[in-house]
Amino acid sequence: MSPKETVLVAMSGGVDSSVALIKIIESGYNPIGVTMKLWGYNEVGGSDDNSCCGINEINGAKLVCDQLGVPHYTIDFQNVFKETVIDDFANEYLNGRTPNPCVRCNSYVKWDAFIKQADELGAQYIATGHYATIGSFNNQSVIKKGVDPIKDQSYVLWGIPKDSISRTIFPLGDLTKKQVREIARKHNLETAETPESMEICFVADNNYNRFLNEYIPDKMESIGPGEIIDEENTVVGEHSGYTNYTVGQRKGIGLSYPDPRYVKAIDAETNTITISTKNKLYKNECFISNINWLIKEPGLPINAYAQIRYNSNPVLAKISIESGQAKAIFDKPQLAVTPGQSIVFYNEKNPEILIGGGIIELK
Amino acid sequence: MSSLYFDTAATTPLDKKVSDIMAEIQNSIFGNPSSIHQFGQKSRTLIEKSRRKIATSFNCKPNEIIFTSGGTESNNLVLKGILKPGDHLITSSYEHPAVINAAKQLENNHIEVSYVKPDLNGVVSPDTIQSEIKPNTKLISIMYVNNEIGSTNPIEDIICIAKKCSIKFHSDAVQVVGKQNLDLNALGADFLSIAAHKYYGPKGIGMLFLKSGNSIESIINGGGQEQSVRPGTENVAGIVGMALATEIATDNVALNSKKIIKLENLFLDLLNKTEIQYKINGQSRIPGIINMTFENMLGQTLVMKLDMMGIAVSFGSACASGALKPSKALLDIGLSEHDALRTIRISIGKFHQEDDIKTLVQSLESILNQKTNVNHENNYVS
Repeated sequence: MSPKETVLVAMSGGVDSSVALIKIIESGYNPIGVTMKLWGYNEVGGSDDNSCCGINEINGAKLVCDQLGVPHYTIDFQNVFKETVIDDFANEYLNGRTPNPCVRCNSYVKWDAFIKQADELGAQYIATGHYATIGSFNNQSVIKKGVDPIKDQSYVLWGIPKDSISRTIFPLGDLTKKQVREIARKHNLETAETPESMEICFVADNNYNRFLNEYIPDKMESIGPGEIIDEENTVVGEHSGYTNYTVGQRKGIGLSYPDPRYVKAIDAETNTITISTKNKLYKNECFISNINWLIKEPGLPINAYAQIRYNSNPVLAKISIESGQAKAIFDKPQLAVTPGQSIVFYNEKNPEILIGGGIIELK
Repeated sequence: MSSLYFDTAATTPLDKKVSDIMAEIQNSIFGNPSSIHQFGQKSRTLIEKSRRKIATSFNCKPNEIIFTSGGTESNNLVLKGILKPGDHLITSSYEHPAVINAAKQLENNHIEVSYVKPDLNGVVSPDTIQSEIKPNTKLISIMYVNNEIGSTNPIEDIICIAKKCSIKFHSDAVQVVGKQNLDLNALGADFLSIAAHKYYGPKGIGMLFLKSGNSIESIINGGGQEQSVRPGTENVAGIVGMALATEIATDNVALNSKKIIKLENLFLDLLNKTEIQYKINGQSRIPGIINMTFENMLGQTLVMKLDMMGIAVSFGSACASGALKPSKALLDIGLSEHDALRTIRISIGKFHQEDDIKTLVQSLESILNQKTNVNHENNYVS
């Protein structure tokens, strides 16, 4: 390797990206640490010291880079993040859907704006602390699941441009979270004990309603209480506004039945939510929009493992085109197939290989 | 790797003499200046001698100097100490955040604020100020030299207007000292903010010039220090350091600005011999602050690339997180967002040598003449 290849390492100020930087250094690359400033509390409201993009996290990243002798810069990506991630997140809720902002952040910010930043700085690669690996399949670079089954993050990577995979390094893909913490502790990193972030970064308090009320107050004000109906269209109660609900939700419906009721559907236009028992929440199929393939585009139909939410298990499904629209038919019925969430495809024969994904649609 | 610092408008290194005298004081003098005993008296004497020294340098009275922690605090003290609900403030849209954000907070407290835009040369015109004056205008606050562009405002003319209308005048003058003479008696401003670290003095110390006959209400309460305007045990070593830095800066202002102008001319001469496309923003520039747009590269990228070669310049003005954004000051003086994002500030100091300038130009050339296949148009988000 001469001269050393330059890698732009995305540093969030957490333990994962800090250890990713260590692995990049150990691999002999020339790293540049970059913290992407994605949003500010003045914009999205709330306050939480333990999420990225706050001053503590930026300084944490800076201290790690300093300790490892790596230059560190904070680059402002707030505009692109607002336009492609936050605005979409708010709109999707307004449309009665359940968005996945991490997917869009990866597609539009990390594997678009950030990779362009790498071009600007003359860096050949970008590296992130995602738990996934890069492998080879049919002579193509592909994304594979990370070895830690609990931490695997390949699900949120389906939307990135295919040609950027060969420029991507996932230094943590072969490690478990436990090992990552150990490495951080061994190096006495500033960020070794940073808490696990489970929530959406710009809604760190996990209170979507608070966020929506602060971010789009005018639109939220016009959404009042509405009707809760059952599957026979009988009005069975009143809800506090459809944006407070997500498909599959059980808690907070406020109705009493011998067997629990779940949110089955949300209709933004009529401000109505439909509830049902759990067994009615299963679906054999769903439609798919915005499909992105991370392998050479396959001819449909194909069989693949499909995963419909971050924490669900992939099941075999047939992906086909029906009257011009892509569709997945599951081998086993799936619980709470939620419009707006991602459906992610893995190779039928090598289920660790991420081959693509799309957005779940009901029609 | 070389290590060259061209960001003196952000802050300057401590002058060796200042550093020495501060170390001596910190090692030997610790008394509380307000104490009656000899330990206290020693500290008090040092402060009052320093105050006199600074008063001599700036041609003002010693009791017109209120020591503060620096420019931000001085600006806040004036704006918040003068304006009451119903009052009107005229300031400019490209002030330092210490003024802009203080003004925004005042707006929430029912104080009216007019933000006057600078012209395309980066200068606030006295006529624009005149046209904003209302019966309830209480204060005009216009920075002496803009920190990003280096443009000097016609402060004397604006003071004339303020005086005619019996309106108080304040100026954030942190970029002036050491680059231009500052005669506070002749100038006639009511209030002026100064920070020592902009002219080779220590950080965390500055002053508010409070012209005799003016009073302001303190925004913090404590003992009676600094005429109760800025109570709190004084920063003795900082004050002594500031006094020496002020003396050095004002005694050598002609010499240093001559040297800096020469270096600036050398820089532009060398730059003109290269293929580099650039333009300088702003007129009436104070020596040493050069705000320039390089068509070929985003400012933040250029700053990072230069930094990785050991050369420090800046993009926008420094903010606590170091996040990089297009400068509002540049948009205000008519730059397109495209150009504002391709603009950096190079600030030259008294310690620079001709060789430093040559290295700077060589580095710029090696970065900006690199041909890449990158489509720059799409590389930023507007």
